[in-house]
Amino acid sequence: MQFGGGAHTELQTASALTIEGLTYAYPEASSPALRDVSLTLECGDFALLAGRSACGKSTLLRAACGLVPHFHGGEISGHVEVAGIDAISTGPGDLASAVGYLAQDPETQVVSTTVAAEIELPLEMRGDPPTSRARAVEEVALALAIPHLLDRAVDTLSGGELQRVALAAALVTRPQLVLLDEPTSQLDPVAGDELIWLLRRLNAEWGVTILLAEHRLERCLAAADHVIAMDSGTIAYDGSPRDFLTWAQDADQALETPSARLFSLVGIAPLPVGVREARRKLASRSAADGVEADPLQTACTFSSPTSRRQQPHSPPKKLSAEGVRLDSTPALRARDLWVELFSNDSPRDVLRGMDLKVSSGERVALMGRNGAGKSTLLKAAANLIDPVRGKIEMSHGIALLTQNPSDFLVRERVGDELPGDAGLAALRIVGLERSIDADPRDLSGGERQRLALAIALAGRMEGDELPGLVALDEPTRGMDRARKDDLAALIGELATRGAGLLVATHDVEFAALFAERVVLLGDGVVIADGPTAEVLSGGWYFATEVARVLDLPGVITPEQGAAALRKVEEGG
Amino acid sequence: MRSPFAYSPRPGPLQSASAGAAVAYLGSLVAVAFIYSNPIVLTATGVATVLAGRLAGARAAVRAALWMGFTLALLIVVVNALVVSRGDTVWVRWGSVPWFSDIVTAEAVTAGAVLGLRAAVVMVAFAVYSACVDPDRVLRALRPIAGRSALTATLVSRLVPVAAADAGRLRDAARLRGPGAAPVGKAPLARRLLAGSLDRAVDVAATLELRGYSLDAPPAKSRRSRSRYDRRFYATGAIVLAVAIAGKALGADSFSEYPATEIGSGAATLAVAAVVALSGLAPLRRPLVRKASDRTSRPRRTASNSLPAGVKI
Repeated sequence: MQFGGGAHTELQTASALTIEGLTYAYPEASSPALRDVSLTLECGDFALLAGRSACGKSTLLRAACGLVPHFHGGEISGHVEVAGIDAISTGPGDLASAVGYLAQDPETQVVSTTVAAEIELPLEMRGDPPTSRARAVEEVALALAIPHLLDRAVDTLSGGELQRVALAAALVTRPQLVLLDEPTSQLDPVAGDELIWLLRRLNAEWGVTILLAEHRLERCLAAADHVIAMDSGTIAYDGSPRDFLTWAQDADQALETPSARLFSLVGIAPLPVGVREARRKLASRSAADGVEADPLQTACTFSSPTSRRQQPHSPPKKLSAEGVRLDSTPALRARDLWVELFSNDSPRDVLRGMDLKVSSGERVALMGRNGAGKSTLLKAAANLIDPVRGKIEMSHGIALLTQNPSDFLVRERVGDELPGDAGLAALRIVGLERSIDADPRDLSGGERQRLALAIALAGRMEGDELPGLVALDEPTRGMDRARKDDLAALIGELATRGAGLLVATHDVEFAALFAERVVLLGDGVVIADGPTAEVLSGGWYFATEVARVLDLPGVITPEQGAAALRKVEEGG
Repeated sequence: MRSPFAYSPRPGPLQSASAGAAVAYLGSLVAVAFIYSNPIVLTATGVATVLAGRLAGARAAVRAALWMGFTLALLIVVVNALVVSRGDTVWVRWGSVPWFSDIVTAEAVTAGAVLGLRAAVVMVAFAVYSACVDPDRVLRALRPIAGRSALTATLVSRLVPVAAADAGRLRDAARLRGPGAAPVGKAPLARRLLAGSLDRAVDVAATLELRGYSLDAPPAKSRRSRSRYDRRFYATGAIVLAVAIAGKALGADSFSEYPATEIGSGAATLAVAAVVALSGLAPLRRPLVRKASDRTSRPRRTASNSLPAGVKI
């Protein structure tokens, strides 16, 4: 297959990306975003860019495609070369044939009305003749499995479809280097995995060099053959994925993957870079030790079709497990809930006769594919959408925090957003009472999210008593693990104070961290409902990495996994 | 929910036609609406635009434009009736009121109705254009002529739906604020939307940069620059314009509002009206005649069969 005949050649000798001594500061910034960064990506590399939020990953990607400094301005020194082209003296337009860039938000990455026009645009700008453009569009559409979308208007596409179209537009010139900035942050686990393996295929089959910035390392570490970790604008690690895990163990445990954590807890070395390697390692270890009760064998036995039918993927169950309060006051009760929304100019039932109960003090993760109805359920509960049939009852109201906390922030002082005693009480709940005079823009991402939550809570509390239900819609987008830990702690605190917590999320590891119960939606109905350990260990996509490694019922976290492995070994 | 005026890719002669042909055709109808004041010809122009829109599959756009157009027309009729004191046929006499006429005449109402009809016809024509003509093709046609304007227009055309989505989210967030939080008025919300839109504009502009919009590459030929329907629309537009100009010269636009309404309905007027009304059939698609054996296997559009002639994979 051949795309638009760009900078790609059969024999590529130059490095895809060379950065030497790069230091860059945004205009009016007090400190540089990148400090003395040097790295090299060889042609055909699949590199993963890791690091905490605001460590400089996005700036590095923008420097590699020429947006920094040509588009953003600022002060720059050092050398950036992409496929033999000097990216600092050349603008992003001239680099367009050599480098493709895909950012986090697909909404702002399409500029045409139809999919075909969007994909064709870079070739047209380059002055390619119609026949070669037609062929390139056709081939990239086939490669990304989107030929059926070519005639669609871009504003009728889902987030996942839009992300693929933006990727197609980035790839159509057949660039030597593709830069991706957290492309899976808005995708469900299925679409996220599909995108990562699509990149792996493009890398393996067509030699496209990939530089991928991601927070969910467990999703893509196995696909990468090179990891670069950043810390405060500098390169903290540059090497192989396996050595990266060993490095992260000492340098920054927030960058450890769950399977690596599992192995380090049990004391198995070397650390595994993916599920397959972890399973193989465990199997060979069991065989070498002569352990009869091999966890994988156990898992295989458990995974038999007969026993699988007993798992929570089957019909929704009544809750019975520990930690779930069956008899407590329901914070939310939805009965036969039907919600109709317009999609592609025609009505569609997004929720179809849903029944759901969330108790006070209960922590529930709401999961499912993009478009399954998670956000719609939360909006219906918050009275933003009227159901066409059925009822939603709330015991003591609801405070809903939507996907973009910044939408709640309209003033330049925290105290102006939340005046009076009610405001102060809400700030106290989220731990921001000392930031009352701060400008919301000066707060960190996590603090801004807490402030937005306080705005939703203010006046809905009776004294220090919270509303019946606190709902969060996809709160971990773009968050590193340290911030997720903070959020999980806050959720636990709110539940302890008696509020029911309902959190829509695509992040299975985060759900395992905070939730005691998982409700899995599929096409507007509940398809699984049960204790977190049960639901997140009984599948493939909606399962934690540890659950996929061990495939043992109820084992979803590294700590649980380590305990189970020790038990098996002791039994052996 | 999408705007009824948003462009939707649909199969059909008007959508397949090149931007120039579609603009020539719909532009000729708009030109007639501006050249003529005769209500018979204006009504015929209105019929043509509505017919064209419906045949092109833009029913929702036509319906919305008619609703908005007639609302505007009603407003024009009322204002004209209240402020114009010309005309022989007095319907109401109510004494002197500052800024207003002391009488309401049948002629002022009729003149207002003609102005309103013209406005409604133009709105429907623009609605059909908006829903049926691919803005990408228009902008790309404009790029070699006016690069900066095309860039601005591209940014604006992309930012409109993005800003609409942002506005919806901000409204939701405002409704979700607790009663103890400071209420959000329209002004802070608008400021926030503007600030957000500027950020979004920067992102979209960055994407355009990365797509090579600023390159001085030679203008590429459009892959769909010509369509088999182009001639039809160019010819229809030319005929409508020629007939309208000839009719004007022959007195087909005979109409006087004051002091008494006189509407010409001579042969020339009726002929112009007939030609203009019939031009609304231009987007009519010839029914597909298929053999009985073909009916079971209707070809689906795939990436392969949408390629230009001569291109094979």
